[in-house]
Amino acid sequence: MELYEKSAFELSEMLKAKECSAAEITESVLGRIGKTEASVEAYVTVCEESAREQAKKVDEMIAEGKELHPLAGIPIGIKDNISTKGILTTCSSKMLYNYVPPFNATVMNKVNSAEMVVTGKLNMDEFAMGSSTETSYFKKTKNPHDLTRIPGGSSGGSAAAVASGEAIVALGSDTGGSIRQPSAYCGVVGLKPTYGSVSRFGLVAFASSLDQIGPIGRTVKDVAMVQSLICGHDKMDATSKDIAYPDYAANLKNDVKGLKIGIPDEYFGEGIDAEVKDAVMETVKLLEKNGAEVRKISLPSTAYALNSYYILSSAEASSNLARFDGVRYGYRTENYDSLIDMYEKTRSEGFGDEVKRRIMLGTFVLSSGFYDAYYKKAKLMQKKISAEFSEAFADVDVIATPTVPSGAFKIGENMGDPLKMYATDICTVTINIAGLPAISVPCGKTANGMPIGMQLIGGHFREQTLLDAANAYESIVGGFGNIPKIV
Amino acid sequence: MNIDIKHIAKLSRLRIEDDKIEKFEKDMQSIVNMVEQLPDIDDTLTLDVNNAMKLREDVEVTDKYTREQLMKNAPQVQAGCLVVPKIVD
Repeated sequence: MELYEKSAFELSEMLKAKECSAAEITESVLGRIGKTEASVEAYVTVCEESAREQAKKVDEMIAEGKELHPLAGIPIGIKDNISTKGILTTCSSKMLYNYVPPFNATVMNKVNSAEMVVTGKLNMDEFAMGSSTETSYFKKTKNPHDLTRIPGGSSGGSAAAVASGEAIVALGSDTGGSIRQPSAYCGVVGLKPTYGSVSRFGLVAFASSLDQIGPIGRTVKDVAMVQSLICGHDKMDATSKDIAYPDYAANLKNDVKGLKIGIPDEYFGEGIDAEVKDAVMETVKLLEKNGAEVRKISLPSTAYALNSYYILSSAEASSNLARFDGVRYGYRTENYDSLIDMYEKTRSEGFGDEVKRRIMLGTFVLSSGFYDAYYKKAKLMQKKISAEFSEAFADVDVIATPTVPSGAFKIGENMGDPLKMYATDICTVTINIAGLPAISVPCGKTANGMPIGMQLIGGHFREQTLLDAANAYESIVGGFGNIPKIV
Repeated sequence: MNIDIKHIAKLSRLRIEDDKIEKFEKDMQSIVNMVEQLPDIDDTLTLDVNNAMKLREDVEVTDKYTREQLMKNAPQVQAGCLVVPKIVD
């Protein structure tokens, strides 16, 4: 077994026992990138030189006998909408093709202070708007399980890099499913943390009230380790919650006895493939056999989630993306004859079609005379959806649903039809609307061999419950399988 | 609800090329038709007191960035200022 195939936890133990060096781990991952990146295309920027330097630094610290963080020396890939000081941060957009942040996101300060090795910046849908990573200006990332299929999105590069061994763990961001959905499609584990638990400072904003940074890994324990590192209050983010955060990895349990699992009918209805429903229900039965209690619950407003989500997220996006005007950073059009002309040409040339659609939808729903009919209605629906979840969590500990309605689709299959693309988020958007945490874990494969994901949803700040349940499931099935052969 | 793409594009400081207008109109129309299917809810919006934003104290900012660092990404800089087209005659 190569080092790049091992989990962050295993590598951390090996480093501690001096069974390998940080340099060897980094070389193994860089070697894997060299071998498979031409097929997978997960990265926008690979940071070979700085990764090697960082690994060398960790080895020196180990030699000096310094006390190190458990994630020291572990290679991590970063979604390209997270600001990295001195490293290109493009949001996979022409608009930011040359943007090098002068500062680090708070999560990057944490990653750096833990002495992790940053392998590079990962491809995504442009400004995180999309469900397949096909709206990237730079490249189309492929699903490591089948290179003719999409990896999901918007954190498609993050999920594909982890699934292919081109990174041990990765950071993604999730506004409507962008961590969980690609994790499900690529057969890895992805956690969308509670809104307010991970600082958004330095995350290029899409919809500020829904965005959340979170970890992707090949094991639940790896995801717990990264979440323990990145969570916590930050004075640079006014929505960051100032509470005590547990060390999820250290507390990780392995038992579902007495865990009350809610099954909402609304997530198993029309539009969800039968093989996906079956795989999720079989997993739930397995947990029941191991001591969990299963209850039927109802979340009646689920049918309106997608409508509310696209109104709320696009409204916020239209405001957030107003800053891209070609004045202070990023792309500026070449020929213009006035300030307005420069703004319009810069934005029209710098943004792709999906970003334009979202900006225009957001502008429309907020425009004079339409606010009450769209935005206000969506906000009231958000309140209702949140109340339904609160009611459900009075009776159950976690809620189990499919993460995505089907396996990964073919590249190009849904690009001509925005509504078909949006429908892939049907099971994930409600969680962002309610600000809840949710994790996606692999739970079988479709008839054509593509991974299926189960989503576990928890109450606010109940990440530990989710991680414990997911970890127990992982041990029951004996792990989530090997890295696919990439052909 | 019919939407006027050219007007919305103008409000958004975007220009849609003529050969793309029709496709944008069709896509935007179907998106609007989807999102507008929301019921009337007899309720009022309230602030969530459990989730109030915590604003920082009004204290001196201690981040140390030079003008050069902050302007390094600007498309056009002259004498330490951002260059934009003439806006006043």
